[in-house]
Amino acid sequence: MGESKTLNTNQAGKLSNKKVNEKIGSGVATAVLAITAVLVLLPLYWIFRSSLMSNGTLYAYPPSILPKEWLWGNYATTLETFDYWLYFKNTFTLIVPCVTAGTITAIFCGYAFARLRFRGKKIIFTLCVGTILLPGMVTLIPLYLFWTRICHLGGTYWPLILPYFTGGGFFNIYLVRQFITTIPKELDEAAEIDGASRMRTLWTIIVPAIRPAITVVILMLFIQLWNDLLQQLIYINDMTKTTFAIGLTNFTGSFGTKWNYAMAATCMTIAPGLVIYIIGQKSFVEGIVLTGMKN
Amino acid sequence: MSRNKGITKKKKRSSATRKEEMTAYLCLIPAFLGLTFISYLPTLAAFILSFFDWNGMTAPKFAGISNYIQIFTHDMSFWPSLKATLVYAFITVIGSLLYSLVIAMLLNMKVPARTFWRAVFFIPYMLPAIGVFTAWKWLYEVNYGLFNFILRSMGCSPMQFLDSPRQVLPSLALIAVWCSGNLIVIFLAGLQNVPRVYHEAAQIDGASYWQRFRYITLPSISPIIFYNLLMALITNLQVVTPALAITDGGPQNASMFLSYLIYEYAFERYKLGYSAAYAAIFFVLVGIFTVVLFRSSKSWLFYEEDGE
Repeated sequence: MGESKTLNTNQAGKLSNKKVNEKIGSGVATAVLAITAVLVLLPLYWIFRSSLMSNGTLYAYPPSILPKEWLWGNYATTLETFDYWLYFKNTFTLIVPCVTAGTITAIFCGYAFARLRFRGKKIIFTLCVGTILLPGMVTLIPLYLFWTRICHLGGTYWPLILPYFTGGGFFNIYLVRQFITTIPKELDEAAEIDGASRMRTLWTIIVPAIRPAITVVILMLFIQLWNDLLQQLIYINDMTKTTFAIGLTNFTGSFGTKWNYAMAATCMTIAPGLVIYIIGQKSFVEGIVLTGMKN
Repeated sequence: MSRNKGITKKKKRSSATRKEEMTAYLCLIPAFLGLTFISYLPTLAAFILSFFDWNGMTAPKFAGISNYIQIFTHDMSFWPSLKATLVYAFITVIGSLLYSLVIAMLLNMKVPARTFWRAVFFIPYMLPAIGVFTAWKWLYEVNYGLFNFILRSMGCSPMQFLDSPRQVLPSLALIAVWCSGNLIVIFLAGLQNVPRVYHEAAQIDGASYWQRFRYITLPSISPIIFYNLLMALITNLQVVTPALAITDGGPQNASMFLSYLIYEYAFERYKLGYSAAYAAIFFVLVGIFTVVLFRSSKSWLFYEEDGE
């Protein structure tokens, strides 16, 4: 009686074992992810919590996990010296033209490298790849002298904006190029047979088809500017032109010990990027995944 | 006649080719401008400037290689700063690559709400650097900061973090690791590209999890590892923002990174030629690392036969 049955249960046991193993694996993975995610988000929660407390309770031991009272007034107090909306306006006056210029020029250059045949393509491409490896610190002083002494653009945003008219760094051009090469050539050839010019094909056929890559380029340029402190520190010396990066540096410099206000200012500075990320999260991350696969 | 036809066709094609070339060059004007004015001319200018003595006001004086001699033999900050840069870059690159690879592999398993987790790990990457550093300065605060609270409640003795010359570099590296969400996403994309059949086949053959990782996953994503490694290395060797934002190169010059010295000599001490010499040395340093990485990659980089 037993033999066939035990064999069967054995097999079944093996199979379910595998399934159980998989389930355990996935459970452990989820648990580890959840714990890590909490650790990753903890600093963010902590600064938010600190921004709502009085300085006295901030220095109490043991620190409370939740603020006892939610002092939203901290934000009002912070805003008295932290000129938030001015920094907001200035930061985006800087970022919007940079991102726009960078994206459009990257599309043009990426298109040329992906679709057009011309002499010197290999050399030009290699020279461009070289710029990725070129540290920005090396060109810092000559560029500073160039913008301020030769072009007399010191004290304006132009030294920060104009470099973005060159494709916004070769990485972005490369991304666009890689993505265009994956689009079937027949698509633009068909348009050309219908009498469309190259530029028309580019903007009506290719650009819509590479939307994920363009999203990533926009995101990359945004983050690059959003993260930058050095360039802005060098070129902006006018109080009325202060951006978030400079504004927050100065604010925490003068309010070094009042951590609740410093954290309120930090939270407000972080907020715009977070909002943009939460809105565009899906297409951002998916765009990176998609473009990552093209590499 | 047929020959004639051939000739006109050829002519036509060449004019079309010329038109195509013109379009290409027009499209590439931004790249040409960038190559010339943003990249290569300034690099050349930095090298030339490094042979001069200049405070930015009076006429520059030719100084030969005296700037370099000064840096290598008399400058007290050069060697410590080189060491700080290398140590920081090393910890950060290894740390962020390991962290992001592990998280990406977990995300690549059958976990519920994967897009949600992915989004969470990406958040720190989206935060402005200055906000990140201000926030972490508070977390690292010696008496009232979060980390020392956690350490104390676990029974450990509190640490000095940013106030200690020994702990400042690992502390800053941890911030950089926290921010490496972009690497996770790129690794994840690579992992999803590994054909599942490979793993299934190996599983049937009785390969353990470690064996599958070592002989399937790692070789398959080696180009992505190389890419992330190269990019992380170049980015982190150029580290300057933490010093600008919170440490000012301290304590006791422990976070006086090469990039920060370049900035300081040029914009706070107005020694432009000297700073340019630092920049030139820095350029060579990054170049050496890039070349070594590319050379070594030939032995461990694995491309599929039918790949590009």
